[in-house]
Amino acid sequence: MAEEVTSVDDFDQIDFLRDRHIRFFQRCLQVLPERYSSYETSRLTIVFFALSGLDVLDALDAVDKPSLVEWIYSLQVVPTEDESNLWRCGFRGSSHIGVPYNTSTGPGSPHPYDSGHVAMTYTGLACLIILGDDLSRVNKKACLAGLKSLQLEDGSFYAVPEGSENDMRFVYCAACVCYMLDDWSGIDCKKAVDYIRRSMSYDSGIGQGAGLESHGGSTFCAIATLCLMGKLEEMFSERELNRIRRWCILRQQDGFHGRPNKPVDTCYSFWVGATLELLDVFQYTNFEKNRNYILSTQDSLVGGFAKWPDSHPDPLHTYFGICGLSLMGEAGLRRVHPALNVSDRALQCLQQLHQTWREGCT
Amino acid sequence: MSVEEISNSLPEAAEEVQTNNENVEGEPEMAYDESPREGYVLYRDRKEWADLEPVPQDDGPNPVVKIAYSERFRDVYDYFRALLKHDEKSERALALTAEAIELNAANYTVWHYRRVLLQALEKDLRVEMKYITAIIEDQPKNYQVWHHRRMVVEWLSDPSEELQFTAEILSQDAKNYHAWQHRQWVIQEYKLWAGELEYVEELLEEDVRNNSAWNQRHFVISRTTTYSPPEVLEREVQYTIRQIKKAPHNESAWNYLKGILQPTGLSSYAGLLEQVEGLQGSCCSPYLLGFLVDYYEEALETNGGKYNLTETLNKALGLCDLLAQDQDTIRREYWRYVARTLQSQYDSGETSPPLTEQQ
Repeated sequence: MAEEVTSVDDFDQIDFLRDRHIRFFQRCLQVLPERYSSYETSRLTIVFFALSGLDVLDALDAVDKPSLVEWIYSLQVVPTEDESNLWRCGFRGSSHIGVPYNTSTGPGSPHPYDSGHVAMTYTGLACLIILGDDLSRVNKKACLAGLKSLQLEDGSFYAVPEGSENDMRFVYCAACVCYMLDDWSGIDCKKAVDYIRRSMSYDSGIGQGAGLESHGGSTFCAIATLCLMGKLEEMFSERELNRIRRWCILRQQDGFHGRPNKPVDTCYSFWVGATLELLDVFQYTNFEKNRNYILSTQDSLVGGFAKWPDSHPDPLHTYFGICGLSLMGEAGLRRVHPALNVSDRALQCLQQLHQTWREGCT
Repeated sequence: MSVEEISNSLPEAAEEVQTNNENVEGEPEMAYDESPREGYVLYRDRKEWADLEPVPQDDGPNPVVKIAYSERFRDVYDYFRALLKHDEKSERALALTAEAIELNAANYTVWHYRRVLLQALEKDLRVEMKYITAIIEDQPKNYQVWHHRRMVVEWLSDPSEELQFTAEILSQDAKNYHAWQHRQWVIQEYKLWAGELEYVEELLEEDVRNNSAWNQRHFVISRTTTYSPPEVLEREVQYTIRQIKKAPHNESAWNYLKGILQPTGLSSYAGLLEQVEGLQGSCCSPYLLGFLVDYYEEALETNGGKYNLTETLNKALGLCDLLAQDQDTIRREYWRYVARTLQSQYDSGETSPPLTEQQ
């Protein structure tokens, strides 16, 4: 499969291959080869990339929404009869534990190792919203109890109650869950924002935790969390925000990288781009160079995007490549909410849902 | 040594060995069709596993993102799920986790269960350290393996191999975030600060642009001597300036210089402005110019009466202009925004006219 060597400049005229990407996501939703086995425990996040991606592409119509909704609900860890597993509730990433398929809201059968994962609870709820579900079968009390048990003394979060690594990714996931459920009782916000503050590096970027190297991914997680909480301006002075803006905007090389002196990677067009948008300065980046880079990583044969040109596309980079283009107002794409990472259409559904809840209607 | 050999050994194949497949016709090699290697016996055909009922995955009538597992893969995990359901604590369970890990080292449930077994069976954790060492070497960007190693180190209360191990991983990829995270955890938890600054310096000798190494430098100093002692700050400033002279276009060095001086104030370090301005000839870069913009902005903000506000503002605006037009054009609009912000904040009406909004 010989390919011409091309430089970024040659891609000025390159087309965004919408139909290919739609088919790429549709294929993801079906069957993946065994070499994707490492995705097993996070299959729900792949569903999120595909569904949210199709949403941004305005191509959700072809998707079988009802059966997807059922499958997602089958991943909910529901309280047992005596509610002794409340602290372990949330959503699973997949059926890998071997719990029989069950979409009911409970009570669940006890299993010694069945528990939710914060990133799966986040993406599970997001997928339901994208699919137009009203979350009426979500056990909100259980999800929030599950969240509480994941927060550490230092304010950060584990992914699972059995314990795991803890860092800014899971702070963000927890914040998204609370935001979507319109209930912040699952998080000690004070401790969480304290963790964020302590994760700010000497260079004003934000790392995964205190002392760690500042990174585009963790900077997004931190800033987006603060925005979802409505506490951005409370936590950082204008001077600090300016420094964060400077750190972020220096990530642009043509596309964006995640750390100084590292190579660029398509997904940072979203992580850093969205952060810059939340900080009101994305408009000052170079759209042309960013767009050209993202499109240089497009796979014109199978669809999708990769981290680098001439590399294999994967669901994550495809999703974030598309979102990176959406931030720049690419024609034919829905706008993406830079903090919650769903289309503004999905966000509207969520806001309507919240209004319904607050008014006390069913 | 392969990972399998190091781990607790796999159960011996049943006495009743499967007839060998010497004469099987060759089939096209497709991952999900691949016959298990010769001599391999599926768990469902092993007599010593007959007491356990395998548990298949159940995705219901409409599976989504279904992964097409080979027979072998599915068989191992069907038995893993069975063990999990019964919470079986046995040697055979431990051995199976090793096989499950080999097939998918990202399955955090397998790792958790393995840890439960290691403790319940009171296994030799030194052996486990060897095992996890090999796995991380093979898959150094996997979250679960690093977490597992951390747990074993904690149980043993023995960090003695960690600096060497992380250094080995970093010798293959000097910016591996997991390795740095583990290294920082070990150093902080067990107070192994001695020699770390020297290690950082070695890495910076190899690659002065290694941002992770510069971060580690700050990590060590801020948590040992701190930057408060004047001799430390002086040493660090001069060290950084030397590195800048060697490689002028290095954001990491400039970020470090700014980062260590900002807490006390860029303008509070005697002779700094002169030193930096002196570098403008041979070592100019967007980072140097950005540093000066920040220097002048700080001067405007603190305004200790030492500065002529107008002159300082004009210098800052001039630099923004230089950056926008010439030295950092990719961020043209950003530097114009910075200039506008400075202008609106500090313009007393006596400055030069505002920058024209050029397309």
